[in-house]
Amino acid sequence: MRREIKNDVLNERLIHSKLKNGLNVYVLPKKDYQKQFAIYATNYGSNDNQFVIPGQNEPTKMPEGIAHFLEHKLFEQEEGNVFDAFSKLGASPNAFTSFNTTAYHFTSTGNFYECLDVLLNFVGAPYFTDQTVEKEKGIITQEIVMYQDDPNWRVFFNLLKGLYHNHPVKKDIAGTVESIQRITKDMLYTCYETFYHPSNMVLFVAGDVDADRVIEQVERYFDGKGISKQGQIKKMYPHEPPEVAAPVLKDKLPVPRPLFMLGFKDIEVGQRGQALLDKMILNDIMLDMLVGQSSDLYSKMYEEGLIDLTFSAGYTGEEDYGHIMMGGESPNPEKVVDLVYQEIERLKQDPWDAEYFSRIKKKKIGEYIKMFNSLENIGVQFVSWVFKDIGLFDYIERLMQINYEQLKSHFNRFFENSQSSVSIILPN
Amino acid sequence: MHMQNLEIGKGIRLKVLPTKKFKTVTISFCFHRDLDEDYTYNALIPAVLKRGCEGFETLKDIEKHMESLYGALFDVGVQKKGERQLLRFSMEVVNDDYLAKQGILAQAFYFLNRVINRPVLEDGGFKKDYVAQEKENMKNRIRSLVNDKVQYSLERCAQEMCKGEKYSRYVFGDIEELDGLDSSKLYNVYREIIQSSPLDVFVVGDVDPEKVRLLLERSLSMDRKGITAIPKTIYRKLQVVPKTVEEEMDVNQGKLVMGFRTNINAADEEYFPLVVYGSVLGGGPHSKLFMNVREKASLAYYAFARLEKFKGLMFVGAGIDFEKYDQTVNIIMEQLEAMAKGQITPQEFEGAINALVTSLKGSMDQPSQLIDYYLGNSVMDSDLTLEELIDRIKGVTVDQVVEVSRKLKLDTVYFLRNRKRGYVVHEKGN
Repeated sequence: MRREIKNDVLNERLIHSKLKNGLNVYVLPKKDYQKQFAIYATNYGSNDNQFVIPGQNEPTKMPEGIAHFLEHKLFEQEEGNVFDAFSKLGASPNAFTSFNTTAYHFTSTGNFYECLDVLLNFVGAPYFTDQTVEKEKGIITQEIVMYQDDPNWRVFFNLLKGLYHNHPVKKDIAGTVESIQRITKDMLYTCYETFYHPSNMVLFVAGDVDADRVIEQVERYFDGKGISKQGQIKKMYPHEPPEVAAPVLKDKLPVPRPLFMLGFKDIEVGQRGQALLDKMILNDIMLDMLVGQSSDLYSKMYEEGLIDLTFSAGYTGEEDYGHIMMGGESPNPEKVVDLVYQEIERLKQDPWDAEYFSRIKKKKIGEYIKMFNSLENIGVQFVSWVFKDIGLFDYIERLMQINYEQLKSHFNRFFENSQSSVSIILPN
Repeated sequence: MHMQNLEIGKGIRLKVLPTKKFKTVTISFCFHRDLDEDYTYNALIPAVLKRGCEGFETLKDIEKHMESLYGALFDVGVQKKGERQLLRFSMEVVNDDYLAKQGILAQAFYFLNRVINRPVLEDGGFKKDYVAQEKENMKNRIRSLVNDKVQYSLERCAQEMCKGEKYSRYVFGDIEELDGLDSSKLYNVYREIIQSSPLDVFVVGDVDPEKVRLLLERSLSMDRKGITAIPKTIYRKLQVVPKTVEEEMDVNQGKLVMGFRTNINAADEEYFPLVVYGSVLGGGPHSKLFMNVREKASLAYYAFARLEKFKGLMFVGAGIDFEKYDQTVNIIMEQLEAMAKGQITPQEFEGAINALVTSLKGSMDQPSQLIDYYLGNSVMDSDLTLEELIDRIKGVTVDQVVEVSRKLKLDTVYFLRNRKRGYVVHEKGN
């Protein structure tokens, strides 16, 4: 089962194979690149704290931060640290845990196929002991504490707390200093067995590599491993009302001037694949037109000193939640928020012209093409899309299709229904 | 694949790296300035020029133009390499091949020329509003350094360490200088840069070097006079009395930074073993700091060593619990002592070389990193290619690394900690 997906605008091709055990393997050949990049990811992140294990009836609940803890601990093997094996081969491995995925990756500039084996081996062989689990608590505590001192991180998480009543996205990815103390090796094994089955994972490789060889090597790796089929994992998320939890959240930190983030809760959730992608593209274009650098509002606020280059805006879209966020440093966050609301109201009466839309569309095309310069960026983007049933080249294909009328009606619908929340960090 | 040097004359050096692998062409104009008392003025000029130019007088005009060029990326920047300030004006455009529209590359050159040479003027100087606004933005940017505690602690350590040396000047300038900014002087400094500062123009992408030279010569309308020679960075300081600096702030994690003088810069023969030294000590998961501070003692999430190759400095950093200060400093010093005694395992040594080679090779896949390396060469008057650097690093021996450790001198230990007054440590019983 091997297929090749081509894109002529990019002049790129992606080779896909689905293995018997359910693992999806993708290879993007990039000629002339020195680097090879491989990323091995599971559809499991910090949000997935409550789930029904396949074959069981009762839900299991885990302490906050366990997905991230597991990511840290997989690097430790019975025979020692997996960093040593990569180091011998000259590769640098790393990993990240997001709300929805956990991903392990390496960059090599040689010995690629050996590195790939190391990656498959260590992600495939958990080794946890009481002692190594305890030791990790000190390291992760320092990681959590480090983020507490980061005002940009704080303003972001405070906004999530303002937007959501119950959804686990409001919880810190790494958990809390208290919650991680409750994590045991048995819990880690339970999460591992549930979420690290090949059918719940994907492997993506980019670089000057032989796609057939990569796929054959992965098939060989799983041969004789005797991995049985896994049933459906049921992830459980609490009911989330459309209203925001708090319209304003203020906090104090040693910052020289206020930081803020304004969020709009997307209440039309539940889409995957093309429907979700279309919404993501529409939101991206809409935000550029509303508060991007060529917008009337951006110019006005910049010239009045209300915002500066720290200002940015973006949309996050998942199957079960979504939000727009915009913010940065400002001497007067309330004023910025008022101006944004006013601009939205004004635009409902007097929308943009079509020429603006087509310019932003052009910009998005260029940005997407540019992404294909960096193997790491491609890989990370790929992983963020694949579990939502969005293909690597789908973005540009859908972007070309989207028209101005769709954008206008999307704008009106989104802001008709969405509630907002603002998070502000003030100097103490 | 290698960087080709093309002389344009008048202190302008064109450096072109033709390669088909990127989908974009990156152009970067870099002016070299001494990090002298005008540094605040130097730093502000790119920000003011970014606001508008003849034909594109506002931010919005510029951004609209970039959008119509398929999301071309226009940016300016200031950076410091040793005691030198580099003023950058750059663009990244999608290669003409990928889009129906041709001539984007040429438009990029003409646009950058306007930004640099045709600013929006008013009464014989820069437009006053732009200067006033960018002055405020720059002050905020300087103040906001504290929001990134790792960067802040590194910068503070360097400032304390190099007090009285040019290197202690912060790359974005000084707030008091900005408060008393003389706008006619700002314009004069700008004129001086245009007329006499050495300029490197880097172009990386699928281009023909000769065509790029023609394009640059045709598009550039700069009135050049005699070119200023820039003094070299002073990087040796042998008489060092170690000092400790503590700073208090409302923070949850302590930031430890130890600053060392290496007395070696990138032009020295000992530079290559020094690079390996830094990597063995704290250049990744293979390193002594990662293994001993993080993995064994569980003291930190991050612990690293970083070199500044122009000024001859090494910084060791770690984020730790306030009470673990002594323990962490001891472990770090033990690692340095072990290295001086030659206690470097084959795994550590091989791991360090491998990590360096991978990272250097990897930088060949990133236009911005390629340009940064060759800009560094330009600062050092070096013509060592990345490939040659890789070979030199592969040739380093353990003995050379041990030898180099003798030259390192601890200069300043900086610690960002919580406020002591009114703070109860580990209150028992509740």
